[in-house]
Amino acid sequence: MALADILDENIIDLHLKSTTKDEVLRDLSAHLLEAGYIEDVEQFVKDIYVREAEGITGMGNHIAIPHGKSHAVKKIGIAIGRCENEIEWESYDDEPINLVFLFCVSDDADFASNHMMLLAELAGKLGNDERVEKLQKVTTKQELIDLFLN
Amino acid sequence: MKIVGITACTAGIAHTYIVAEKIQNAAEAAGHQCKIETQGTIGAQNKLTAEDIAAADVVIVAHDIAVSGMERFAGKPTVDIPISVAMKNPKSLIATIEKKIQK
Repeated sequence: MALADILDENIIDLHLKSTTKDEVLRDLSAHLLEAGYIEDVEQFVKDIYVREAEGITGMGNHIAIPHGKSHAVKKIGIAIGRCENEIEWESYDDEPINLVFLFCVSDDADFASNHMMLLAELAGKLGNDERVEKLQKVTTKQELIDLFLN
Repeated sequence: MKIVGITACTAGIAHTYIVAEKIQNAAEAAGHQCKIETQGTIGAQNKLTAEDIAAADVVIVAHDIAVSGMERFAGKPTVDIPISVAMKNPKSLIATIEKKIQK
């Protein structure tokens, strides 16, 4: 298993039309459903909001990292969306966001721990400002994926 | 300076790792050595050894939940902050620590 195995073009959308946080979560969840990562959008979105209630997921630099720990999850992954609109989101820098990394994680602690390690590795890479700036400029999904692999 | 630290967020999925990276980058950019242990859902990673801690000038604990193994840092200058502080401005965190430690 390597980082490349968890970055899936089927759940990356560089042209999200969503205009609100709720739409973003639902649009990305729809991709997760379609690609077989979750079995139920309603339950998954509900579980994301449970985490949202515990603290801010807008990390600054126009990035949000909502995460759902849900039993609706069949396969661990990360849905990535870049929005065409600025989205109001509770953020550490009080700015709107346009890049969303939706962590799709099982609520079973022992489930696929090797996948969880990869998600942790990927999360760490979001702590690098230089990479984050480049993420705003990529034009293809492959370019985005490459930014995490290099 | 030699900096060691621990990060631990509520869910243990994302913030823990992002903040560890931010502190690491900010510390290295300022010319310090840094090693951060992450305590997340997958357990502790990049664990601090007794040697790491003995050599450290300062300990940063950035957390929103209780961290384990705090007794390891007994007697060390320790900066205890919520995750948000390190997330918002890691550079000024390091700068503040530099001032305090050098006094």
